[in-house]
Amino acid sequence: MSNKLISEMGLPASIANVFAARNVLTAKDALSLPEFDLVALLGLDLDQVRSAVARISEIACPPCRTALSLLEDRARSACHLPTRLRGLDDALCGGIPFGALTELVGPSGIGKTQFCLKLALLAAMPTCYGGLNGRIIYMDTESKFNSSRLIEIGKSSFPHIFQSEGMAQEMAGRIVVLRPSSLSEFTESLQQIKLMILRHDVKLLIVDSMAAILLGDNERSTTVQKQHSWRWPLSFLKSLAEFSQIPIVVTNQVRSQNNDEVFHYSFQAQKNDTSKTSERLESHLTAALGIQWAHAVTIRLIFEAHSGQRFIKVSKSPTSPAVAFPFVVESSGISLLSHDGLEVTGAEICTIHCQDQDTTFLTRGPSHTLIFDASLQQFSWLGNIANRDVDQASRIETSPSSIFLDLLLTYHSCFKCEIDQTICIWLHKFLLLLQLLIEVGQT
Amino acid sequence: MSETSRFRSTEGSHGALKGAQTAWDMLSEEQMQKHITTGCEELDAILGGGIHCKEVTEVGGVPGIGKTQLGIQLTVNVQIPVECGGLGGKAVYIDTEGSFMVERAHQIAEGCISDLLDNTAHRLKDFPACPERLQPNSFLSNIFYFRICSYTEQIATINYLEKFLEEQKDVKIIVVDSITFHFRQDFDDLALRTRVLSGMSLKLMSFAKKYSLAVVLLNQVTTKFVEGSFHLTLALGDTWSHACTNRIILQSV
Amino acid sequence: MEERGRAEASREELERLIDGGTPYKFAVASQVPMPPTRNPRSAIHAKSPITEEVGEEDVGMEEVSVAIDRQQPPWLNGVELLEDAKWNKHVLPTGCEGIDILLGGGLREGQLTEIVGPSSSGKTQVCLCSALGVADLNLGVVLFLDTCNSFSSHRIAHMVNSQSDTLVKEGKEGRLKRIMSSILCHSVFDIFELMDVLHQLECKLKHQVKSSGNRIRLLIVDSISSLITPILGGKNSQGRLMMITTGILLKKIANEYNLSVLVTNHMVGGEGGSLKPALGESWKNIPHVRLVLSRDQGSNICNVSILKHTIIASGRAAKFVIDN
Repeated sequence: MSNKLISEMGLPASIANVFAARNVLTAKDALSLPEFDLVALLGLDLDQVRSAVARISEIACPPCRTALSLLEDRARSACHLPTRLRGLDDALCGGIPFGALTELVGPSGIGKTQFCLKLALLAAMPTCYGGLNGRIIYMDTESKFNSSRLIEIGKSSFPHIFQSEGMAQEMAGRIVVLRPSSLSEFTESLQQIKLMILRHDVKLLIVDSMAAILLGDNERSTTVQKQHSWRWPLSFLKSLAEFSQIPIVVTNQVRSQNNDEVFHYSFQAQKNDTSKTSERLESHLTAALGIQWAHAVTIRLIFEAHSGQRFIKVSKSPTSPAVAFPFVVESSGISLLSHDGLEVTGAEICTIHCQDQDTTFLTRGPSHTLIFDASLQQFSWLGNIANRDVDQASRIETSPSSIFLDLLLTYHSCFKCEIDQTICIWLHKFLLLLQLLIEVGQT
Repeated sequence: MSETSRFRSTEGSHGALKGAQTAWDMLSEEQMQKHITTGCEELDAILGGGIHCKEVTEVGGVPGIGKTQLGIQLTVNVQIPVECGGLGGKAVYIDTEGSFMVERAHQIAEGCISDLLDNTAHRLKDFPACPERLQPNSFLSNIFYFRICSYTEQIATINYLEKFLEEQKDVKIIVVDSITFHFRQDFDDLALRTRVLSGMSLKLMSFAKKYSLAVVLLNQVTTKFVEGSFHLTLALGDTWSHACTNRIILQSV
Repeated sequence: MEERGRAEASREELERLIDGGTPYKFAVASQVPMPPTRNPRSAIHAKSPITEEVGEEDVGMEEVSVAIDRQQPPWLNGVELLEDAKWNKHVLPTGCEGIDILLGGGLREGQLTEIVGPSSSGKTQVCLCSALGVADLNLGVVLFLDTCNSFSSHRIAHMVNSQSDTLVKEGKEGRLKRIMSSILCHSVFDIFELMDVLHQLECKLKHQVKSSGNRIRLLIVDSISSLITPILGGKNSQGRLMMITTGILLKKIANEYNLSVLVTNHMVGGEGGSLKPALGESWKNIPHVRLVLSRDQGSNICNVSILKHTIIASGRAAKFVIDN
């Protein structure tokens, strides 16, 4: 719309020539300038400029529709991807909506990737079983995608469908996994996705996780450059969703809130200190990527843990009030413990709780997690993400060595690969050897 | 006698200034002007009865607070028939973010109609034509929807509204949701942005005055460094803050 | 070509006449552009080329000198200016005590006063209060040019009704009607519209009787910065030119027709996060008096301080309250 040429708009020839002579060729060029500037640039009368701008605006303006015609369009075609979690689907009026950005926010290990895997599977399934029967694009920035886990979810949730081997392979084959490792690769992949969507029938796009790719380059660039560089992916994703009418699911990380984080507007009088500090202690986590991103997504689902349970909270949605559903992660993916949501009000809607505050998630691979437990001063190894395997974690007994922690993190950031158990033990032995050598050298 | 003649001569001698009105005439006009209820009594009380026509109101707040809900509610409430105390007008909804959910508008319309039928049943008995108009689908057919994908389209639509409003005489509210989105992202030259936005706000003001309708702009929030600390403030800068007649900020308690 | 030749010939004649001892102002005549209503060449041609009769030439020169005088105002000396200030330029109270005390009485006629302040600091309230004050004291008519739909007749009615009035003669209704009828409001949304309105006003003021009781005393433009911001900036300086022209026109109207002009401006961010008035450096010199308003957070007390004044030192401050 904004790239329509002025020469094709049916303006009087003399005026159109003046526009062309001053290099104002598209509607965008003409409308980006205020009226006064146009008068000065083109050297025409004010009335002539006004009538020309009115004509250009009429043509560049999108068509007007009534809300009733929108409703009739929606009724004719499907517009939601059901998540098979009844409470959530009811709250979202059918499921994940088409043509909008849905965001999943939560701390590590809470189940966002599980949810994404389940959604990918649901979209891949044929329509006779309630799926979308299409391809899925999964952009995996943290190397968390695991096809064996995907098949496990499929077999547990729909045993009758996945009995035949061929079915599982076909479903898995419909999921295209991309692994961009930098922002520039990500933007390139997005361009290719646009072509893919036009050519094949892609029904779902999952980006897991957005924060990793957007925040990954932050050492080199300044804040302003950072904001500029991810404005384009943001607007591209939104326009892609609109244009192709597919659901787009994006995951986001959490970060701790600074002490001088904003709570209030400048015209408000300051509250007294005591209430402020108690507020701060409770809500010390917030979504990464800032407030501008928060405005841009249409639906925000917060995954959090408190009072011994995990919850999916519908924090921002045009169709439902804020409700929270308790859930667990099982072999069949995520399942809700209760389909009646608990109402959430007030400041609780935007806060993110993370129960185990003393736990630091060090590194995660697709099927294992290394955790440093500050309370117990131990490293733990979780062999499988699913809850039932927590008991089978093997523990590495080691002294609370910060050097070891640093070594592990350095290894991870240098090689960007998963640290499995053998490497961990190897590094630990290496460190002990070094310490021995230093002691020997000193004596 | 002399006083009245003085008034007459006052009006006469200043009649040369086309379009000027005395405050006395405006007072009687304003007293007859109805307001658009927001559906929430306390909010209506703060606003002095509801959203005023002939004024530009800006509503801002953090994401998820309910700005779009308020916008959709207003497009439904403006259609309350005159017999029930409303304006009986149509609405224009300019959507820049894609957050207009038509199913939600349908729900809100149903809720509004059932409230009307409960509360003002005695008035409706006198006007048998009303129940036909009070269908959710007829409410939806009176909402004109524009979906905008870039700031060029936003400027073009607001320019085009001049012609649109000449043709559709019943439009009583314009809701823009949100005014900020495209201007925050795609505009690099901030000085040019300020000028384009000021021009746009003057245009909206002139629509409000000329066609006697209400303009509601939904805005986002951003952080600003003021007096040594960060504060939340509405987006688009200082100059934009003077572009509206009224500003409302929604906050959760 | 011929026309230029004729003009040169007439200039030579003028110079000859000048050397012959005709008064100084005719030398100026050749450079001053003639009034647009009269054909410039015909004015010089009014006198016949080279005539021996001095009387006819004098008549032609008279016409020229009258035309020049009409373009330029007469020269005044200091005594005449003082007389003018004493008799013609009165002080209009604003109705807000703090501002009146600060300014030594109120707004001065013949001057352009600017009120600058951040959003919701009380600028429109001060404008409405001044309008009310002038209308109440029967000093004349107030013209309010409104660019942001902020004129609220309700608010004025409210203020009138809440003022305790000791007048017994007219009832509340009569007083309200009298005051409200003296306040005229006009909406302008365009700088060109504003210029049109001001030119119209000027024409009307020229022809109105000076001693009638309903002459315009106060002209308020709220806010002028919203009209100027769309045109200011950009690659060329025409916007600035337009702004300065508007300012000069306002000052001229104020001075010639003895009324006071009040405009409002907003603030933008300056260096280090502090606020500074909008419209830039060129605008700074245009108003005679500049006042800065600010409101304390969450209270009704406004602080006003002088940024620029022709007589009073800048930096003096006062407080006043905006109540319901």
